Amino acid sequence: MGKEHSIELRNVTKTYKRDEFTIPVLTDLDLVVPEGEFLALMGPSGSGKTTLLNLIAGLDNATQGSVIVHGQDLGGMSDGEITRWRSENVGFIFQLYNLIPVLTAFENVELPLLLTNLSKRKRRDNVMTALRAVGLEGREDHYPRQLSGGQEQRVAIARAIVTDPFLLVADEPTGDLDRKSAEEILSLLQQLNKGFNKTIVMVTHDPEAAQRASRLLHLDKGKLVHDEVRNNLEEGVASS
Amino acid sequence: MKFLHYVLRNARRSPVRSLLTIGAMSMCLALMMILISFLSVNDAVASSLRTYNRLVVMSSQGFAQPVPFARVNEIAGMKGVKHTTTFAWFGGKYHDEPMPFAQFGVSADSIFSIYDEFTISPDQVKAFADDKMGCVIGRKLAEERNIKIGDPLPLKGDIYPLDLNLTVRGVYDGPGTRDLRMCFFHWDFLNEELKRVSKNSKMTDNAGVVVVKCDSADRMVPLSKEIDNLYLNSATPTRTQTEEAFNQMFAEMFGDLRGMIRTIGLAVVMSLIFVSGNAMAMALRERTTEIAVLKAMGFQRPLVVNLVLTEAILVAFIGGLIGALGTKAFFDVVDLSKHSGGFLPFFFVPWPTAILGLGASLVIGFFSGIFPALAAARLSVINGLRKVV
Repeated sequence: MGKEHSIELRNVTKTYKRDEFTIPVLTDLDLVVPEGEFLALMGPSGSGKTTLLNLIAGLDNATQGSVIVHGQDLGGMSDGEITRWRSENVGFIFQLYNLIPVLTAFENVELPLLLTNLSKRKRRDNVMTALRAVGLEGREDHYPRQLSGGQEQRVAIARAIVTDPFLLVADEPTGDLDRKSAEEILSLLQQLNKGFNKTIVMVTHDPEAAQRASRLLHLDKGKLVHDEVRNNLEEGVASS
Repeated sequence: MKFLHYVLRNARRSPVRSLLTIGAMSMCLALMMILISFLSVNDAVASSLRTYNRLVVMSSQGFAQPVPFARVNEIAGMKGVKHTTTFAWFGGKYHDEPMPFAQFGVSADSIFSIYDEFTISPDQVKAFADDKMGCVIGRKLAEERNIKIGDPLPLKGDIYPLDLNLTVRGVYDGPGTRDLRMCFFHWDFLNEELKRVSKNSKMTDNAGVVVVKCDSADRMVPLSKEIDNLYLNSATPTRTQTEEAFNQMFAEMFGDLRGMIRTIGLAVVMSLIFVSGNAMAMALRERTTEIAVLKAMGFQRPLVVNLVLTEAILVAFIGGLIGALGTKAFFDVVDLSKHSGGFLPFFFVPWPTAILGLGASLVIGFFSGIFPALAAARLSVINGLRKVV
């Protein structure tokens, strides 16, 4: 498989066991996401959006089927291998930012780089580049508590992109933000997608946020029920 | 090292909890250090006596039984013996204080040749030797009670049926591991007074024990055997041992106490592991999501274990530094023996004991951290993130 299909799911089924019950979450799901796509996942609670996101990000394993990301079959990897793979290929953006409160913005962004062999100076350069990219230059010494929600999410995005992963996964990245901050974050994601060719998979309940994606998938009861490719990327950027 | 600032920040995340853990650790370790030091000081002092080539001859029935004075001169004539002295415990009251310091009847002309680690000016030694009612006291005793040369030193007999009105003729000094609160007076004077007040007393002509200075370490074992063999069939057989062994004999009297202190020490370590482990587990429970985030972004299990363990060990080590080294430093400065009413001639925390305490803190840190660390490493990223991703 070429890199033009950066994510490919074939006949993926995911079930969870709760006591004696087997709960199907995703059923026989097929999905192809080309490189550089900005994909929004929507659906009601329990539809399997987050589970799908977890499978794509290498945080969970499919019960059946294969998940191939960036040419790598995630199902055949050990825990150590897949952890290393995530550090090199995936950036995570969470609804509640999940910054480390005792670290400054700089140190939070630097965390993933501590896993690399980069020199201190090179790490500093990369962190400052990421912070500049999200518009937080000059706030590097601020602790999360000294930042607004929107700024915290920007730091989280800087942390997600600082290792230059090809894939960004975002779970309701605007879910805890006011409309203005949400618009700024979505514009930033669009810029990363368009300007840096990052593949983005975003779970959202917000139809307005979903409008910013280049493709919109609806899930219901573990199945894809709607797949819509949109061409509004430039509009989205222009309207922000 | 590049993760150190992360570990340090986490350790300071909940200052009150960290301080309480460190406080509990240091307090318990300090108490443990004091308990263990009561025993280890004796061991340290006993082993430091090795270099002085001294033997102690006591009755084979125990040091409380008499050794005839005649033995002092007989032993002095044996091969390899440099000096001998009586060493008779008086155990009198100073004014009305019962046994405030150790008092011994000794041979004035040889005591400071035998105990050559004590320093005293030749003039004072001569003044002591020339005055049968004279005595020499240790520097600490002189300082604490403001006793000067020429001052009277009245001792009321408690074991002996007589009082001794001594005059201080000298003050000796010496290493910190020696009792610097003793009083040496003429055994002859004691014996004469005893004969005067009670002619038929069983305590007359009793040397107490005989301390022997040998000319070499090689001679000590054969000489011990020779002395004991010489008196084996006498009415007062002897038991001769090195001064180190003689001191250890007192430590062995604490036999059960020693075991009990070890058990208490172990119980303290165990309880500290539980206390610190609980604090660490609470800290990590609050950080479940953070740990999941770290693992999501690529922190491997061994790294997570190392980070958590380092934090636990760091907190415990700080407690250990304060508890073990702090206690050592404290007792190096504050002289507990001064306030022990003569019970302790000296008290300090020996280095091996302090290092043991520091090592115990590391062990406590390891065991308090390992289970939370393994739990953190095993944490499922999905469960840790819950509904975040």
